[in-house]
Amino acid sequence: MPRAKGGYKSKRRRDRIRKHAKGFRGGRSKLWKAAVEAVHRKWRFSLFHRRKRKGDFRGVWIARINAASRELGVGYSRLFGALEKQGITLDRKILADLAISDPNAFKKVVQAAGVAT
Amino acid sequence: MSLAAPIHRKTVIAKEPMTRSWFVADVEGKTLGRAATQIASVLRGKTKASFTTHVDAGDFVVVINADKVRLSGKKWTDKLYRDHSLFPGGLRTLTAKGMLARHPTELVKRAVWGMLPKGPLGRRVYKKLKVYAGAEHPHQAQQCKPLALS
Repeated sequence: MPRAKGGYKSKRRRDRIRKHAKGFRGGRSKLWKAAVEAVHRKWRFSLFHRRKRKGDFRGVWIARINAASRELGVGYSRLFGALEKQGITLDRKILADLAISDPNAFKKVVQAAGVAT
Repeated sequence: MSLAAPIHRKTVIAKEPMTRSWFVADVEGKTLGRAATQIASVLRGKTKASFTTHVDAGDFVVVINADKVRLSGKKWTDKLYRDHSLFPGGLRTLTAKGMLARHPTELVKRAVWGMLPKGPLGRRVYKKLKVYAGAEHPHQAQQCKPLALS
């Protein structure tokens, strides 16, 4: 069988690394070995941070719900404890959105939980 | 709510420029750290439903009577404010009492700064804090609402 060097495929592979290394500082975008290393790290970080983003948003929602519900006299922790007991399963994303876009609806949810003063 | 409401909703992000309120906090007789936590929360915007981590979403806080703040225990004589000039032996210390005498607003300022995130955003947030020693402040035009400190 003739030997297949795979010039096309290899070029594609290298181009992909070069493309992803664009804009990196110094030799990390120009020198092959440094670029490969930098790009592999970049991919690992972006994967990790995509996963982390889910938690980041959850944190923001919790902070917002806490702020909105404290105005109604109950903190986040107690509110969610009570919501669970009442079987209200609105999630944090929806509640945080309600707190901004429709404060009255949010208030009703809090009242339905039965802990607000 | 109508059924036509979008099923996929993105989390709203606070955008600048935004309208910010002004609050005036009277710290006379208030314990320093306890007042500072509340002030820091308002500055960061954690008391508002539109709180966003990477945006300065907070309001302005004018602190008055900063020189009449309360310290518990023996902190007036024992609490030390330390600065270093970066030269060898350049540590300068000042007791809380001395600090009050020399810079009456600095106690509140430092206490609040210590509770803010350190970084570009934290420094921006900190600029919304205005501290005055007496009961007077020059922000009448902003129509400050009173900030109740518990």
